[in-house]
Amino acid sequence: MIQALFLGGAGLMLLAAAAGVIGGGDSGAGRRKAALALVIAGTVAWMAASAGVLADGAAVDFTLYRLAPDLAFAFHLDRLSAFFCLIIAAVALCTAVYSLKYIEHGAGGRQRDFLTAAMAVFILSMGLVAASANFFALIFFWEMMSLSSLLLVLYERDRAETAKAGVYYLVMTQFSTLFLLLGALLLHRYTGTFNIGAADLSPAAAGLIFGAFFIGFGTKAGVMPFHKWLPFAHAAAPSNISALMSGVMIKVAVYGLVRILLDVLSPELWWGTVLLVFGIVSAVLGVIYALKEHDLKKLLAYHSIENIGIIVIGLGLYVIFSHYSLAALADLSLFGALFHTLNHAVFKSLLFMTAGSVVAATHSRNIEEMGGLVKRMPATAVIFLIGAAAISALPPLNGFASEVMLFQAYLGAFQVPSPLTAVLLFTALAAFALMSALAAACFVKAFGAVFLALPRSKEAEQAVEAPRAMLIGPGILAAACVVLGIFSAQIFRAAGFDLPLIDLLPVTAVTGAIFGLAVFLVRRSGSRVRLSETWGCGIHRQNSKMEYTASGFSEPIVTIFSPIFRTRKSLRREYADRDKSIVTGGSGEIHTLQFFEERIYLPAARLVQRLSGFVSRLHNVDLDAFVLYAFVVIVILLLAVGRWL
Amino acid sequence: MNELIIGDDFIKILLVLVLGSAALIITQRSLVSLFSIYAAQSAILAAVALALFTREGTASLLFMAVLTVASKVIIIPFFLRRLLAVMPIKRDLEFHYLTPIGSIILSTGLFFVVYQAFSALSPALEVSRLFILGAVIGVSLALMGMMVIMSRRKVITKIIGYLSMENGVLLFSMFIAEMPFIIEVLIIIDLLMIIVLSAVLAFGIDSSVEAFHKRLNQLGLDFED
Repeated sequence: MIQALFLGGAGLMLLAAAAGVIGGGDSGAGRRKAALALVIAGTVAWMAASAGVLADGAAVDFTLYRLAPDLAFAFHLDRLSAFFCLIIAAVALCTAVYSLKYIEHGAGGRQRDFLTAAMAVFILSMGLVAASANFFALIFFWEMMSLSSLLLVLYERDRAETAKAGVYYLVMTQFSTLFLLLGALLLHRYTGTFNIGAADLSPAAAGLIFGAFFIGFGTKAGVMPFHKWLPFAHAAAPSNISALMSGVMIKVAVYGLVRILLDVLSPELWWGTVLLVFGIVSAVLGVIYALKEHDLKKLLAYHSIENIGIIVIGLGLYVIFSHYSLAALADLSLFGALFHTLNHAVFKSLLFMTAGSVVAATHSRNIEEMGGLVKRMPATAVIFLIGAAAISALPPLNGFASEVMLFQAYLGAFQVPSPLTAVLLFTALAAFALMSALAAACFVKAFGAVFLALPRSKEAEQAVEAPRAMLIGPGILAAACVVLGIFSAQIFRAAGFDLPLIDLLPVTAVTGAIFGLAVFLVRRSGSRVRLSETWGCGIHRQNSKMEYTASGFSEPIVTIFSPIFRTRKSLRREYADRDKSIVTGGSGEIHTLQFFEERIYLPAARLVQRLSGFVSRLHNVDLDAFVLYAFVVIVILLLAVGRWL
Repeated sequence: MNELIIGDDFIKILLVLVLGSAALIITQRSLVSLFSIYAAQSAILAAVALALFTREGTASLLFMAVLTVASKVIIIPFFLRRLLAVMPIKRDLEFHYLTPIGSIILSTGLFFVVYQAFSALSPALEVSRLFILGAVIGVSLALMGMMVIMSRRKVITKIIGYLSMENGVLLFSMFIAEMPFIIEVLIIIDLLMIIVLSAVLAFGIDSSVEAFHKRLNQLGLDFED
């Protein structure tokens, strides 16, 4: 039954992909709606299949096609893959509902058809990766996922920044596949099979394989320093695709990492340290980079890096606590990481979808050109606010529920016998706390600059509320944020996991009661409230120029973290007189160093360029030199034969 | 038949002569002498093939000897001498990467490297020491031919390098690889083609490859004008 549901869902998505491209012309909105309906049906089937596995607990195995004895498209649905399939299907369902309207606002008919078809293939491939039973199938569908998402990133290919995003994404996605392939081949070398299952390996071999998989999955997940593609690609892709990429695709990489740690290799302490350090760096730098960002979608993309950091921290804690046989803390960390994976999928796709609605309404991604949208797009604003509160880990929403689990795990660090590890954990805890505070500050900036105060552009002034479908999709996710937060303890208990969790239901009830009482008291004393214009420094009529801007908001934080941003300020003034006492004009610029781009990526690129130049010079030589090369190679081979045989 | 069998020592002497001829090809500057040495080297190879034929009785070795004498001792040197008659140069004095002395020193080292490599391989190949020696000299000869190709500037000398390389392959195949006879025939046809082409292009053969390109380009420009 579960097999039929899963395959049926996959079939429906294939059908959707075909329906998306069959036909032609500039119209075809109906056909695209039908294709999206098929995607929705497919995701519902997948959700049913996943729920079945999660409820039953028994794994389902089946083979679709066997290419060779060792190479088969085989699937294995256990609770872990079902959990990830459920995330994929749920987010894809809401995104498909959102896309019913969103897809129609873009470029010409053929391009919209393409977007629909590629989106169906993208969702299909992600589900199949999570369900793969062996590395052959996993890497095959992984490539399918990478290529379909690349085409989607390149959707608006005429724009210069899209081309840049495409190049970054292509290079990094292939880099990721390369390391996955290396890991899989190494595993095959030691175990003789591509199947994803427990491998009994020496510590050195296991460490090597872990390294390869960590780089492979980490690159796709956006772990620093392999994250560079993420802000570009998420910003360049259409918003519904950004929602899928950030909400789901990077979670597929998390799935791979979790699967490797839980089922394939036996983790060692240093793996945990590596995960923790990379996680902390990603989480803290992700949010710091987000703070200075004024492109709404890039800001959200940097928050994805931050949240992936949180998830990787959870996995690192799991490995460390497992090593010291602290089972309860290890479970708390692992479930915290997995729960945060689900929560991030929910609130990040919500945020990208609402950001898409805002961008569609204002025709700009720059938050400095927005403002005042809460009056024009009230429903979108409320949904965005719920997402922003959830990602800022405000109680009682889901982001808080999962982050508090990790805090709880951190606080058990005193039980770790090694003082060095304990110090590391407490240092990481401090960084984690800093990151949580900065995330909240960042979303105060984002929400404030986008939705509050007065509109700062004509487009923002004329913005209208998003169509209903574009509210229903993220609306469902907003409801999920609330439910997953308030009932988190109950959900874990119902799933059969007995973890020492904070029950947010009474907390919510008490907080709600206090809030209600406060509102009631304020209302009662309403007669004494005086309504007047805000003080405008003596200027009679206030306008949007007098608002607190996003740059202004983040400036103090940018100044505090200037050693990380490497901020350079340059001011240029023009004077009317020789004594430089009367200023007639001038300009000022603030540059921030793109640390990873300027210190890691570009030097690596330059090195490759130099090597290519050297190889190219070797190529452009005369016949004698070619004979010389052949001669040298033969001599080396002879030496090797004499030495090693 | 038994009384006709030629001893190992005789073959060894022939092999040493092959090596000596290769050393002469590396150092010799006079083109006439180069052609003669090549012819002599080929004749020695034919003798080796004959000697092996008396030991093993394989008909293809006999054919190889006959073919070698016909093509490499008579026809190819004949063509080369005809070429020389129309060319203004008689000596090749330009070298690239290696001087003749350097080449000789390098080839000595090379011989030891090849010998070392094949000694390591000999248990796996299950052949006698004579056959290993033949193979070692074959490979060394091919490599020395390669050295001639890269160290000489004049095309005509490079051709001698190619021919000498091919002799090395032939020697190796006689002792170890047992190359099918038909392949040997095809290679010889190729060699003849090289020589014929060289004759066709004889007007530029006295120059280096680079200068020859320039000359061809100049011709093209003349046509355009």
